[in-house]
Amino acid sequence: MGRAPSGDVTAVLYVEDVLLVDRCLTGEPAATRELFRRHRGRVHACLFRVLGGNRDMDDLLQEAFLQVFQSLRSWRAEASLATWIDRVAVRCAYRHLSQRARRIATDPLDDDTAGALASPEPGPGARRQLARDGVVRLYAVLGELSPAARLAFTLHELDGRSLAEAAELLGSTVTATKLRVWRARKRIEAAAAADPVLREFLEPSAGGTVIPFADREAP
Amino acid sequence: MKLAGRIPVEPLDEERLTNIERRVVTGAVDAAVRGHELRGPQRQLGRAVAAIAIAAAGVVGWALHGAPPAEPVAAEPPALRAQTSAQRSVIDIGDATIESTPDTAFAVTRPDGGVLVAMARGKVELEVGKRGARPPLIVRAGDTDVVVVGTRFSVDYGDGSGEVDVRVTEGAVRVVHQQRETRVAAGQAWRTRAGLVATAGGDAPTATATATVPGAPAVALAGAGEPRGVPTAPAAVPAVLRDHKAAVPGAADAPAAIASPPSRVVAAPARPAGGQPVRQRAAVRDDPHVDLRGAIRAQPVEPALDLHEPSAAGAITRYYDIAAHQSGDEASQAFYSIAAVRHFKLGRNAEALQTLDAYVRRFPGGKEYRAALWLRVRILCLDKLDDRCRAAAYTYLHQAPDSPAAHVAELLTQTE
Repeated sequence: MGRAPSGDVTAVLYVEDVLLVDRCLTGEPAATRELFRRHRGRVHACLFRVLGGNRDMDDLLQEAFLQVFQSLRSWRAEASLATWIDRVAVRCAYRHLSQRARRIATDPLDDDTAGALASPEPGPGARRQLARDGVVRLYAVLGELSPAARLAFTLHELDGRSLAEAAELLGSTVTATKLRVWRARKRIEAAAAADPVLREFLEPSAGGTVIPFADREAP
Repeated sequence: MKLAGRIPVEPLDEERLTNIERRVVTGAVDAAVRGHELRGPQRQLGRAVAAIAIAAAGVVGWALHGAPPAEPVAAEPPALRAQTSAQRSVIDIGDATIESTPDTAFAVTRPDGGVLVAMARGKVELEVGKRGARPPLIVRAGDTDVVVVGTRFSVDYGDGSGEVDVRVTEGAVRVVHQQRETRVAAGQAWRTRAGLVATAGGDAPTATATATVPGAPAVALAGAGEPRGVPTAPAAVPAVLRDHKAAVPGAADAPAAIASPPSRVVAAPARPAGGQPVRQRAAVRDDPHVDLRGAIRAQPVEPALDLHEPSAAGAITRYYDIAAHQSGDEASQAFYSIAAVRHFKLGRNAEALQTLDAYVRRFPGGKEYRAALWLRVRILCLDKLDDRCRAAAYTYLHQAPDSPAAHVAELLTQTE
């Protein structure tokens, strides 16, 4: 668990976080708003990659930040505030996944390029549809994993966090996290073997294909 | 399988984000407010445990001495409770002696090393020894807290639903009501509706008269001109409290008799009913020999860490860096230095105070802890001798009672 990463800007942000938290603890609405706005984008991105969509995002994001503010007094500045908030959010996601009986479904994707996959000459529309179908099938497989394995895989493989960081967020050891990621990967590879769309999506040749969201911010 | 960055995030629209933000902010503010309140119930558990220990110790003590308590005091778990019937009650809790009038109910607990006397109804009079560095004794009557360092005073809570009447005969107390704090010195009283008012009791040591007639108010405050031990019968609220203007002769000429910051302490010549003049009480600030601001400036201040930076902004950036990357004493010193530079070199006192507040929270055992507390006193009290200044001085005095600046802090706590 490290202190703030190096760099003057980060150091200043770290101390500003300390001051901001103190203001939040007094119940100052402006400080609360500022903290929420400072961290909402990152937390939302993390939760989105875990869930695979925005379907339950409002409740989950709200719950995560309420947990943050309720526990803010326990933040002792040993970890960076961002890491600490992410840890709270991951715990909320874990509870959410555990409580969901049904398989997690992603948001319905619009079908403006339907049929492109069947096109004899795959163009940009076909690749986009392939990517979207691939994401849907990927999250369908992830839905069969345990919440801990799903979180470990999404944090490491989809959110791009290191194994150590994912382990810290999960409150687990690096070894256990590595094992969960490996098992999840095996499970996905097994599914891909029987699913050409998923296999196509996971192929390195498909790398770099992202699903565009028109008029929306980059991840 | 390289998937990082290939799942883009679909952003939430503004309306959804605004709704989430609104609910989060509302919930967070509630949580902050509840956080303060919730610590009460958590402390209650500690208080209950402490009270059981007190009660057990009391029983053992009484048993060892072979004598029952002088007065019928019901000490029962989970808290030491006293509910007197037709007679007055006297309880010595070690830190203080509590006298109560008939039909008074209160509980004594010891949260966090302090003493909490929580009243349900009735009237208590306390004599509290100097508490030194220990946490204060607090008398709680409804939503009013009377915070005591070492003094003699009474709290009348009536039937438990009405006003609170605090009268101080020696020393001073702080009354905290609805998050507002008022210092009540000897010779003054405070009531829920009237606020701070003058009483006829001067600063002379007063005697507590005890009525022996059952049913009569048992505890009274004797004025300075009254012989000790002579019972008085202030059955009703004295006129001096009902109409504080009328209570002070010549009030029209001396409106400052109703002490309210930043006016001076009550110094109007008041006369009790008996016509005997009472001594005037002068506050510290009335003493021309005491130049508090000069005294504050004369106290040495822990300097900021010298990094040989030509500019204050550059120094602060480096302090930030140290505070973020180091731990222990180095981080503590850097954090303190940010506040010191903001105050001394940049004159940004509000930012300096914010930093100091954060320092005190982050480094409760830090090397610069006392220095940070003193810097708070210095910044606040050089600006204005108000309640914030006094609160800061009070905190410093109790955290650093043996420091050279403690006597200045003590004087500051006694300002009006």
